[in-house]
Amino acid sequence: MTSPVTPDLTVRVGTVLLKNPVISASGTFGYGLEFTPFYDISRLGAVIVKGLSLLPTPGNAPGRIVETPAGMLNAIGLQNIGVDRFVTEVAPRLADAGAVCAANIYGRTVEEYEAVARRLSEVPMLAAIELNASCPNVKEGGIAFGSTPEGLSGLTRRVRAATGKPLWVKLSPNVSDIGAIARAAEEAGADAVTLINTIVGMAVDPRTRRPKLSNVTGGLSGPAVKPVALRMVWEACKAVKIPVIGIGGIQSAEDALEFLLVGAAAVQVGTANFRNPNACVEIIDGIRDFLVREKISRLDEYRGTLLL
Amino acid sequence: MPFRRPRFVHGKILRNTGSGIFYRMEVAIPEPLSFVPGQFAMVSGWPGNDPLLPRPLAIFRSGGTRGKGTVEFVYKVVGRGTALLSGLHGGDPLALTLPLGHGFEFPGEDRSWWLVGGGVGFSTVFPAAAALDAQRSDFEIFLGARTRDQLPPGDWIPGGAIPGRVHLCTDDGTAGFFGSVTAALRERLDRWKPSGKGRLAILACGPREMLKTVAEAALPLDVRVQVSLESHMACGFGVCWGCVTEVREGGKAVYRRVCKEGPVFDAREVVW
Repeated sequence: MTSPVTPDLTVRVGTVLLKNPVISASGTFGYGLEFTPFYDISRLGAVIVKGLSLLPTPGNAPGRIVETPAGMLNAIGLQNIGVDRFVTEVAPRLADAGAVCAANIYGRTVEEYEAVARRLSEVPMLAAIELNASCPNVKEGGIAFGSTPEGLSGLTRRVRAATGKPLWVKLSPNVSDIGAIARAAEEAGADAVTLINTIVGMAVDPRTRRPKLSNVTGGLSGPAVKPVALRMVWEACKAVKIPVIGIGGIQSAEDALEFLLVGAAAVQVGTANFRNPNACVEIIDGIRDFLVREKISRLDEYRGTLLL
Repeated sequence: MPFRRPRFVHGKILRNTGSGIFYRMEVAIPEPLSFVPGQFAMVSGWPGNDPLLPRPLAIFRSGGTRGKGTVEFVYKVVGRGTALLSGLHGGDPLALTLPLGHGFEFPGEDRSWWLVGGGVGFSTVFPAAAALDAQRSDFEIFLGARTRDQLPPGDWIPGGAIPGRVHLCTDDGTAGFFGSVTAALRERLDRWKPSGKGRLAILACGPREMLKTVAEAALPLDVRVQVSLESHMACGFGVCWGCVTEVREGGKAVYRRVCKEGPVFDAREVVW
């Protein structure tokens, strides 16, 4: 009988060392503190808080979510408390909770992105900034910048110059060549790319003849998008040398392992948090159990070993 | 100690039986639960990823002892999720996150309480009635339904279906008051005089139009009205921001989460 060895789950996203590869996805985890009744959030690889803007944002009118087969559409409209309240009220409490944190940011203009990034640069407890260049639900919520390599490159360069924090750029799947988009982020100075954000979708009611979302279109997430996400993460991993953080429809440890297998440095769990608040920690435990069963001592040995 | 902070637990269905158009489901959970009337649970029990999201159900009752809790729900089949729930049997597993949301408030001062339930909305106000009954407070119940068969069974009514205290209303006149629950409430308000029993407070749950009418009828008379709102929600514990409703705060209209700041709101604040 061999003694059970706890496998090493640590991963590196650029200069950021994470105790495991599971990160909570922006927009699905509130400001992190909402999960403290359920578990100790310092168990996560990292927490990414809801997208922050320079000023508080009211968000879209109700009619913000609709369930679709094995997924959901959302058009929240980036409702958030603004960067100042985050820095003064939330960040200290997240630091007390001992969580590794990154902040997702967005702006209506490049100048607003820069201002938010500068403000967050003053917060020592933040491990990274994630640039939302891909929200599909707000006209100027990043998609205007994130849908072409040129637009993304310009935005990333400016924010890169505005902060010394590690910069992760969250990419839209609503593009024709994800590899070219990922390369544009890399060349503009991104330390990592996160993909995919939600896929633009729509739902209508045939009887009332109205859209089900007040915003008409919304972002599709959940298991329904996983095959698309996995393909795009695989392509991005081949296109860039910087770490790729995989996200899209991950519900289980097996789903997470698939993204790690095709080369992701880490994964983000989003919509799964809605139906099971313990999803992230169950996925961490599941990855550890898998490595034990497969007799793999370090996650790094498994990552990116897809057999073709 | 019964738990009162939200937990995600795995339960087992003890019974799930239909009674008219309503289902009553009792679930064994690992520990007893302490809840405020008006609070709810996110519930799912079907295999696979479709439908993806759990369903919000008002907590009807809780019980049990240390290491052995129970929780009850009353629901009506309205869509795929509740249809799937209605097909589950005793012994089937159920995942629950509970207790969630901001429930009804019971200020200490002496009051008369009127509880208004439209349709399946009774499942939210009955726990409040049970709490008031237990502390021997003065309360009346108004229940509205389209027709007799869509009223809850009499033996579910806290304190029993006592005439004068329980006002049944049907749109088609097959039971009780012939007309809407809001019309019955208006008539009762016309007859109501502030008495030594203190001020009147109304707790209501039902279709949004009904709640709006209750607020319009009672607020001008300086009656405190609390309404429990419904909304589509993904998480139920405040992180998806999908379920918001517009409320007035400090003269400003803002979006607040039905699952967190609600589902019970002060009717004066709701932007109808």
